[in-house]
Amino acid sequence: MAALAGANLIYGAGMIESGVTFDCGQFVMDNEFARMIKHVVAGVRVTDETLAVEDIAQVGPFGDFLSLDATLRHMRELSQPEFLDRRVREEWEERGSKELYVTCLEKARDVVREYRPEPVPDDIAARIHAIVEKTDRLVGVA
Amino acid sequence: MKRNLFAGRPRSGGLSVNVFTESELEEIHFASLEVLERAGVFVEDDEALDIFSDGGCPVNRDTHMVCIPPHVAEDAIRSAPSRYVLYGRDPKNDFVMEPGRVAFTNFSEGIRVIDVETGEYRDSTKKDVADIARLNDYLSEMDTHEIAVGAKDVPPETAAVHNTEVQLLNTTKPIGVGPLSGVEAKAIFQMAAEVVGGEDELRRRPILYSGVCPVSPLKLPRDATEVIIESSRWWIPDNILSMAMAGGSSPVTLAGTLVTHNAEVLAGITLAQLTERGCPVMYGSSTTAMDLKLAAASVGSPEIAMISAAVAQMARRYLLPSFVAGL
Repeated sequence: MAALAGANLIYGAGMIESGVTFDCGQFVMDNEFARMIKHVVAGVRVTDETLAVEDIAQVGPFGDFLSLDATLRHMRELSQPEFLDRRVREEWEERGSKELYVTCLEKARDVVREYRPEPVPDDIAARIHAIVEKTDRLVGVA
Repeated sequence: MKRNLFAGRPRSGGLSVNVFTESELEEIHFASLEVLERAGVFVEDDEALDIFSDGGCPVNRDTHMVCIPPHVAEDAIRSAPSRYVLYGRDPKNDFVMEPGRVAFTNFSEGIRVIDVETGEYRDSTKKDVADIARLNDYLSEMDTHEIAVGAKDVPPETAAVHNTEVQLLNTTKPIGVGPLSGVEAKAIFQMAAEVVGGEDELRRRPILYSGVCPVSPLKLPRDATEVIIESSRWWIPDNILSMAMAGGSSPVTLAGTLVTHNAEVLAGITLAQLTERGCPVMYGSSTTAMDLKLAAASVGSPEIAMISAAVAQMARRYLLPSFVAGL
């Protein structure tokens, strides 16, 4: 709703228990939902090409659109979730019957263990820490 | 067959939702101005009272009540910028705040976590703040990083400073910070200045934004005004975020809640603009309905969705960037 109304920063990813608790698995799931929401906000493009009348007339009632050039060209415009599983139940069971939350939590765990963004240089980190300590002393809680 | 181009065909440019008509938005706006002038706002801190008074607002120093005349509030709406950039430690994460553009960020600020390794439900620590910042840095749809949880293993009086220390070290995206005093705000801005190479550079490329909360109904407490004043002076974007609960701290009707919410946010924006005209602000909302059976805020309800959408539209009408509850 907020996205459709054009809110600039929509917060809330990762939250459970009405804002008391943060859950990293939920965070990864919410990131996926955000991706899907942005897909909706982007909307439906109407052009001569996307209306595809020539293709429709050519394929007719008994064909399909799978092998058309246009399908190849535009297929990446359709939503592509990373974690939401669109397979049927049997295939899901064959792959271990994992709940969405569990798949997302496993990803969160991997990222927290392995991923490191560009670090801040040691001397700057030391100066930042000095400000923290100075503030603790200033306020009387050091 | 040939299909020639159309001349100037209007296009929808994506999906959207209509929340209010122009006249309804106008009525909410005028109702808020009336509340600011007639009921006024309680302003705890003397320095903030001085700024309001110098800016043309009648101030009662005994009751700490400030009346904000309509022209002062409207001036503030006009002088607050419509567009600005939140910068990341890594320039590839620089991010434009502009009415209508849609982005996401994480929740702020919880007090417990589900341990990512063990599943234990426990109090949050400084290490959690760091871990979540890194996870946020990795996730594709998160454009900024708010403090997800407050560290409970540090002194509460300076927790915001400790939290931001690990934010700065663990993400390269713009960060939302949560100081609860002018002292904390100043320390946090000094830390950010160290990272970018000085105060002038920070003013040019703010890699963080602060957040304050008026207390509903119609109060600007000291912690909020100290941070608004400090942020304005440093030209750090300030998110003025109201957290009303319809039926509890605001009228039970959603329209009435939007009026007090709007008045509270406008009061904060007015203080910012009277401190430093033209400084960047965000129009924020965490407002929802109160579940009157449970006497608790109902987060994740239809009401919060409707209010967030309504607030986004109000902010767009004011040509101000917005920050609302969503996921």
